[in-house]
Amino acid sequence: MTAALTAHGISFAHPSRGFRHRQPTETLANVSLSLTPGTSTALVGSSGSGKSTLVRILLALANPSAGTVMLDGRTVSPGPARALRWYRRAVQYIPQNPAGSLDPRMTVSQLLMEPLRQLRVEGNHRSLIGEALDRVEVPATLMGRRPGELSGGQNQRVAIARALVVSPSYLLADEPVSGLDLPLRDTVLSLLDGLVREEGLGMLLVTHDLATAARICGTTAVLAKGSIVEHGPTDQVLENPASPAAVELVKASAGLQLQGTVPAVAL
Amino acid sequence: MPTPAFLKVAASRIAALLGLVVLIGIMPWLSGRGAEYTILRARYSDREPTPETLAAIRAELGLEHGPLAMLGSWLQRVVTGDLGTSWISNTPVAPGVVAALSVSVTLMGFALAAASIIALLIGVPAVVDGLRQRRGPASGALSAALTSLPEFLLAAMLLVVGAIWLRWFPPFGWKGPEYSVLPALALGIPAGGLMGLLLSDAVRAGFGEKWVATWRLAGAQPGQLTRAVLRRALPSVLPQIGLVLIGLTGGAVAVEKVYAIPGLGRALLGAASAQDIPALQAGMLALLALALLVGTLTTAVRYVLIGPAIRFGTLPLPDPLQSGSRRRLAVPAVASASLLLMVMAGLVRDPFTSAHARLALPTWALPFGADASGRDLLARVGHGAVGTLGTALVVVLVCLAVGIAVGLFPLAATGPLEVANAAPPILAGLVVAAITGPSAQGAALAVAAVGWAPLAAHTAALAQEARAQSYVQILPVLGVGRARIMLRYILPAVVRPLLRHAMLRLPGVALALAALGFLGLGPQQPSPEWGLILAEGIGYVERAPWTVLAPASALVLASVLAVSLAGAGGTAVPASPPQNTGKLPTTPAGTGRQRAAVR
Repeated sequence: MTAALTAHGISFAHPSRGFRHRQPTETLANVSLSLTPGTSTALVGSSGSGKSTLVRILLALANPSAGTVMLDGRTVSPGPARALRWYRRAVQYIPQNPAGSLDPRMTVSQLLMEPLRQLRVEGNHRSLIGEALDRVEVPATLMGRRPGELSGGQNQRVAIARALVVSPSYLLADEPVSGLDLPLRDTVLSLLDGLVREEGLGMLLVTHDLATAARICGTTAVLAKGSIVEHGPTDQVLENPASPAAVELVKASAGLQLQGTVPAVAL
Repeated sequence: MPTPAFLKVAASRIAALLGLVVLIGIMPWLSGRGAEYTILRARYSDREPTPETLAAIRAELGLEHGPLAMLGSWLQRVVTGDLGTSWISNTPVAPGVVAALSVSVTLMGFALAAASIIALLIGVPAVVDGLRQRRGPASGALSAALTSLPEFLLAAMLLVVGAIWLRWFPPFGWKGPEYSVLPALALGIPAGGLMGLLLSDAVRAGFGEKWVATWRLAGAQPGQLTRAVLRRALPSVLPQIGLVLIGLTGGAVAVEKVYAIPGLGRALLGAASAQDIPALQAGMLALLALALLVGTLTTAVRYVLIGPAIRFGTLPLPDPLQSGSRRRLAVPAVASASLLLMVMAGLVRDPFTSAHARLALPTWALPFGADASGRDLLARVGHGAVGTLGTALVVVLVCLAVGIAVGLFPLAATGPLEVANAAPPILAGLVVAAITGPSAQGAALAVAAVGWAPLAAHTAALAQEARAQSYVQILPVLGVGRARIMLRYILPAVVRPLLRHAMLRLPGVALALAALGFLGLGPQQPSPEWGLILAEGIGYVERAPWTVLAPASALVLASVLAVSLAGAGGTAVPASPPQNTGKLPTTPAGTGRQRAAVR
């Protein structure tokens, strides 16, 4: 197998708190997932299914209680910043509510400079920042602005540019469009789609909405109660869901789409 | 797996407690070369301070063997009930401490009764307003005024009014119930004011919560509603009420001095002034036990009220009521303007020369009269402001630096923070004065030693809020290390509100310094220090009441300023741990919940 980001047999139990609640609650049980360059995988699940925990583990922010995360055959686990630089250069992250993930005190160029400096990326940082902003179609004239002086869509793009500026091979996007209005959703999803198709990034798109997954992801994994209950081509999951959890999700997204076509009724 | 948060907190608390015991135990060693001279002067005044005599005394005290051996033997004796022998009288200190403690506990009982009545009087309107569905102001001006007066000042004022002008109560001594009225009021009024303030704010916030409206719709009776709101409001203020009670021990030192009550506070003060360290050690141990008892009791009551099923921290704290009216700014503005006027007028005059008649009456040329040495009181108070407020500024800045450093690591610091937060500055002043002798620097050190706690608690709350921001949570993914996150991201986010908070504490710190000066634990004669000037004047209060007027009015103005500013700043202090706003969930870290006491 060539370069791949894999999670193998991941389990995660929340550490017990205090004296009374001794039984640890298991949020992930034996989850395996593999990402390859040039493909995008959707991780779909209702809230509480363990999506965010899995992302934290894939980002080496949390330690799984069992299982390993590997990139190109190297095992990854949480540790000091300097020991993980190689991994963070290769795997980047687009958070939910990207606008909130930008320090309001910093300018766009400072925001993009931070990962370049901290991850010791080689090359001309100025031109790398220019290229990254170019890729997300943010005009270079905005480099001196702070997040408060940008629109929501522009902030979203800046956050994506910050992930792209270190030229990662993989992108983990956690509900990247859930906070956006519909037209903006489309442009951001096309942007992400282009990164995968044209630049060969591997992407994991975390979402609770199957419709979003269907737009750009070839593969879909359905997470329910900490286990992957369904994993295959997105069309197949959509048309022929096998597990009850997947059936629920398909129904929910169909209902949403239906609602979208019916003229809105004021309540 | 990392150490669970509650274990860290528990370890930190135990460490802080042990640290206190160790500090008390090695006090003779800390006091250095002063010890043998103290004993020589007190007991063997016939002998010369020859090296042989001094060495003999050192050997007798066990000072030769270093702090650890001394601590060990002291602990051994304490466990067997031997609290040591006084350096001054060469008699066991235990009986005196027990007798003094019983007097002090009785006094505190009376004070507590007074405080409860006052707190009730302040709290009842809040309940009435709540039942009538009126959202009143967060706190009344009356309770703020009551809270603002430091015990030593109130004790002096009550003495003048109640014992000398009205002659209703005896001025000095401890011979019957009538002797306890004035001291109990002096202790109980500020404590009750603060308790009432906390309670009424919590009750008002409780009545503002959504479930109350639901209960009303369901037809809950006023009695039922009141009980439920009280049960909701009390747990959040109980820890602070516990702190107020522990704070009474500090106030008791001043009050017992003013009224010549043979309690623990006065015994401690005497021991500290005479550098009789064994007596001080024993008294401090007794106070520590008392504070632990109060702390445990309030925690237990709180636990019972909340119910065992709910863990601490899961109950949402009521939102602090916002009230940013202009009236609130008017009070501190008037107080600071008057204070400034007084200081400016005093600064151009000469505070040291005895140019006037002794106890000269106030005239236009001499607005506050002269003191017993014929010195200009206005000049003394004006110059005293520079000393007192200047020292206070240095202390506040030191507290700010320590508070930020400690507050960024809240879990490990919980224990020291709670101790420093609870310890009254007067007790810290006693310890420092006993070790180094009374001095302005010693007083500053003592106030700084306990003054950092509220700032550290505020830092911890702000840092926790900053850490929960999603722009901080994403930083590890961008390769930003822990140190850089702290210095480049958290610190800039917290430093401005902290600076503001620190400046608001300035008058309060000045009052603490003045209290130490009043007790003779701060700067010495002829320094024009506010507390010291008041202490000098108090002896002549019957013949020349104006001798206390100048320092007292300066102190009252500073007190009003302290509380009105603390109230204005209080809204800026987040009362509840902020919710995790980012989607990137943090692994459960214990929330080191701390509170910033008003005083």
